[in-house]
Amino acid sequence: MRQTVLQTKELTVSFGGLKALNGLDFQLYEGEFLGLIGPNGSGKTTFFNALTGIYRPAAGSVLLHGNDITGAPPTKIYAYGITRTFQRLRLATSLSVLDNLIIGNQRNLNLGLWHNIFNRKSFKRRLQEQIQIAEELLSRFSRDLAVHLFKPVSSLSMIDRRRVEVCRALISEPKILLLDEPSAGMTPDETRALMDELQDWRAQYPTLSIILIEHEMELINKVSDRCVVLNYGEKIAEGRYSEVSNEPGVRAAYLGED
Amino acid sequence: MDLGFIAQYFVNGLVQGITYALVAVGFTLFFGVLDVIKFSHGDVLMLGAFTALALFLGLDQLASPAWLSLIIMLCIGILAMGLLGALLCKFLVLPLKESPPLNTLLITLMFGSVIRESVRLFFPNGSNPKPFPALLPEASINWGNLNLRLDSVILISTGALAIVVTHLIIQKTRIGLAIRAVAQDEETARLMGIDFKKTVLATFALGSGLAALSGISTGLYYQEINFSMGLMLGVIGFSAAVVGGLGSIYGAIVGGLLFAFLQTLGAIWFSVPAYKDVFAFAVIIILMAWRPTGLLADRSAERV
Amino acid sequence: MSELKTKLVLLLGVALSVVVLYGFLYLEREWEIGVLLVMVPLGVYFLKRANALTYYQHAAREMPRFTWISFALGVVVLIMLLRHEDFALLMLTTVLLYATVSLGLTIQFGFAGVVNFAAIAFFGIGAYSMAILNQHFLHIPDLLIIFFSGAISALLGALLILPILRTRGHYAALITIAFGILFRTFLEVNDVLGGPQGLRVSGLEIFGWDFGNSFPNELGGGSFYVAYAIVALVLLATVYLITRLIEASWLGLNMDSVRLDEVASASFGINGPRWKITAFMLGNCFAGFAGAVYAAMYGFIAPASFNLSDSLLLVSIVLLGGIGNPVAVIPAAFLIVVLPEKFQVIQEYRLLLFGIVVILILRFRPSGLMPRGLRQYFAGRFG
Ligand SMILES: Nc1ncnc2c1ncn2[C@@H]1O[C@H](COP(=O)(O)OP(=O)(O)OP(=O)(O)O)[C@@H](O)[C@H]1O
Ligand SMILES: [Mg+2]
Repeated sequence: MRQTVLQTKELTVSFGGLKALNGLDFQLYEGEFLGLIGPNGSGKTTFFNALTGIYRPAAGSVLLHGNDITGAPPTKIYAYGITRTFQRLRLATSLSVLDNLIIGNQRNLNLGLWHNIFNRKSFKRRLQEQIQIAEELLSRFSRDLAVHLFKPVSSLSMIDRRRVEVCRALISEPKILLLDEPSAGMTPDETRALMDELQDWRAQYPTLSIILIEHEMELINKVSDRCVVLNYGEKIAEGRYSEVSNEPGVRAAYLGED
Repeated sequence: MDLGFIAQYFVNGLVQGITYALVAVGFTLFFGVLDVIKFSHGDVLMLGAFTALALFLGLDQLASPAWLSLIIMLCIGILAMGLLGALLCKFLVLPLKESPPLNTLLITLMFGSVIRESVRLFFPNGSNPKPFPALLPEASINWGNLNLRLDSVILISTGALAIVVTHLIIQKTRIGLAIRAVAQDEETARLMGIDFKKTVLATFALGSGLAALSGISTGLYYQEINFSMGLMLGVIGFSAAVVGGLGSIYGAIVGGLLFAFLQTLGAIWFSVPAYKDVFAFAVIIILMAWRPTGLLADRSAERV
Repeated sequence: MSELKTKLVLLLGVALSVVVLYGFLYLEREWEIGVLLVMVPLGVYFLKRANALTYYQHAAREMPRFTWISFALGVVVLIMLLRHEDFALLMLTTVLLYATVSLGLTIQFGFAGVVNFAAIAFFGIGAYSMAILNQHFLHIPDLLIIFFSGAISALLGALLILPILRTRGHYAALITIAFGILFRTFLEVNDVLGGPQGLRVSGLEIFGWDFGNSFPNELGGGSFYVAYAIVALVLLATVYLITRLIEASWLGLNMDSVRLDEVASASFGINGPRWKITAFMLGNCFAGFAGAVYAAMYGFIAPASFNLSDSLLLVSIVLLGGIGNPVAVIPAAFLIVVLPEKFQVIQEYRLLLFGIVVILILRFRPSGLMPRGLRQYFAGRFG
């Protein structure tokens, strides 16, 4: 029996009168690659925001390894080993690629005054470690990108920024990774390369579970072990892509029929 | 304390409160359409009063009757400041739309200080307080300790009327509809075919015209104006708008009246009346800690 | 570049700066200053054309410590050159103190994004603390009193932490504006603090050296301001070093991250409030230090010197230099403090001109005269 790492029960998020998530029951298993799909505005991003503590659920609960973490602030969620990317990129564009990656590795930074200000020798060693980690991680995803480690993110193309965003989420070696349309705007080749790299990473960290929000159905079909379909904040189907895609409810949702 | 005193405080506070509310409505309008704070607002108010004063001095030479002078002063003062507000918006505020909000705050603060300094340096003898003509009827009624001046009543009603008219413009006219649409969501408003720039300029003109009105009212009430009067009125108007909740006209009114109430309360409580501002601002800070987005406005969560 | 060559370039830069600063501070006739004012931008332009500025920047990035020390020594030379000029020294000291406050502001909104329109109030708290502590606690060494003045500034600032953390943007700006006005009005109506007339402040006495006396002859003699200038220089150099080290560490990185995107930062475990509080307290502490030295130097303080417009002046220094760039506040403070003093014509029009200049900068060069570059953790490489 696979182990459940993350679970929501009747999770509800509302904005005024609108229920962006409506009583969602959801499960994520250890090591699973889960595709989260649904038409625009169906509540996928909202689901991530509710999981990561950015939005407060109006009702329901979120369980991590069976422990209730509903309403925990984002900093706690990160501490639990859950990281994410943002659909509309949220990198610190005026900072260097390196700085952005180090931000992602907050967990492993020593924030002590002594270490940072006075003991510069030891700080320098730590910095060099971080540089090395960042460089290795980046070159996994794109050899060209690693060259730009000391460039500001604002000088990168959108595609490269998406890669940096993924790397920022990976650098702290999370247990659960939430990807919100990471391949938006990429060519099929670029997307394939990104997904291959994610699969490689999974091979290296078999307990990592991934939720991927994606509009490209082919891709979901190829990479996901299982998918969950949302519509108007409710789960309308769940299962292997090949099964789910044939359900009439899902087709209706995508074709905009009632 | 007897009832007459309390009523007196009440009336005086109301005159103040309406003035503050007029200023606060301006702040709220600008914030509504553009999410910016135009900090020169207080100085535009002061310039409105000085424009009116200059007009009066000119008209006095022509021996125009008081009521006519007053009407001309109001019309031209309000129009001129409306124009100034639109120009300021066009050349200093809109170009900075994409930069950090701090920059807009600073550029308008600096514009305010340019207005202030210009009046001080270039208005004849501008660094001294100027007597402002008493153009309103001077009648008053006494009830015990209450001395109800007719000009107070006129000023309160004019201010209230101006706010009601502003409210009607926003709720009932086409330009008001555009303003509301832009305040709701700029993108959608543009898609609906609303001329964004024109709407914003109109809003700035409207708010700045209100500032001119409150400047002239202040002059008429105290019968004295000076080049630095806008600074404090601007800060108070800003406080009132913020405490009420930026973007809400009701909030601005509540905030304006509240500030005047706090000042009055401070003046009564402390033996040294000068503590009234210390008290009022301290309460404002505490209120902000309690209701970080103001008393009335509730802005929805930031979209992520 | 070889090491020797780098050092030579840096020393040349310092020497040039000292000459220019000396010119500005020493010359008095307006036409002389006018000539300088034309010459300096021209000089900068040609240096830039000849790539000398980039050359210098590279050198400074390669040897930051050498740059820092040589500049501090350069200012010592400058002080010595001006040792008989009371007014020039007074101005120079004011520049150094204002730059110190501006570094506090740099940490506050340049790094952590906490707006502060009450910098002069925290400067004032430092000044009044100095006045009162120095009068009532004669046995406490003055160096400690300067330290306490900064601490008191930071602690009183802590009153604003809750409202500032809970509010955003304009709402937070209002809180500091309100506090600045509240502070000033309070000073004016409070008799214990001298009311509108203000307080006298006794001068500093550090390690048994009474600053009220003129500078000792064995060290070359000179005005009593020399000692204050040196104290202000030491203060600025220390505060600058702290600011730079914060920037070049995880602390500065976290502050930047919080400023740029608080939500994303939180999603990566960064505790926004922690960094905002740190930045706010530290910045106010710097302002308090500077205020304490200022009060002791002037010997007299009054509420009239702590206006909203002075806070704006300080914010403008940061903006003119380039938000978040610690080096930039120094030339900016110099320009904003010294130029108006030098032009009597300007003096009267100074706030007007100054407003126009800041408007033009915001409109056409919002990143300031010396825009902030990427973070440099260590000398040489690493970005
Ligand atoms: N902060 C917010 N305030 C108000 N409404 C919101 C907010 N965030 C999301 N919504 C609404 O909630 C609903 C779900 O939005 P969400 O962003 O989760 O959709 P999505 O499935 O991610 O869509 P897309 O595929 O376009 O990214 C939408 O109707 C959206 O307008
Ligand atoms: Mg989405």
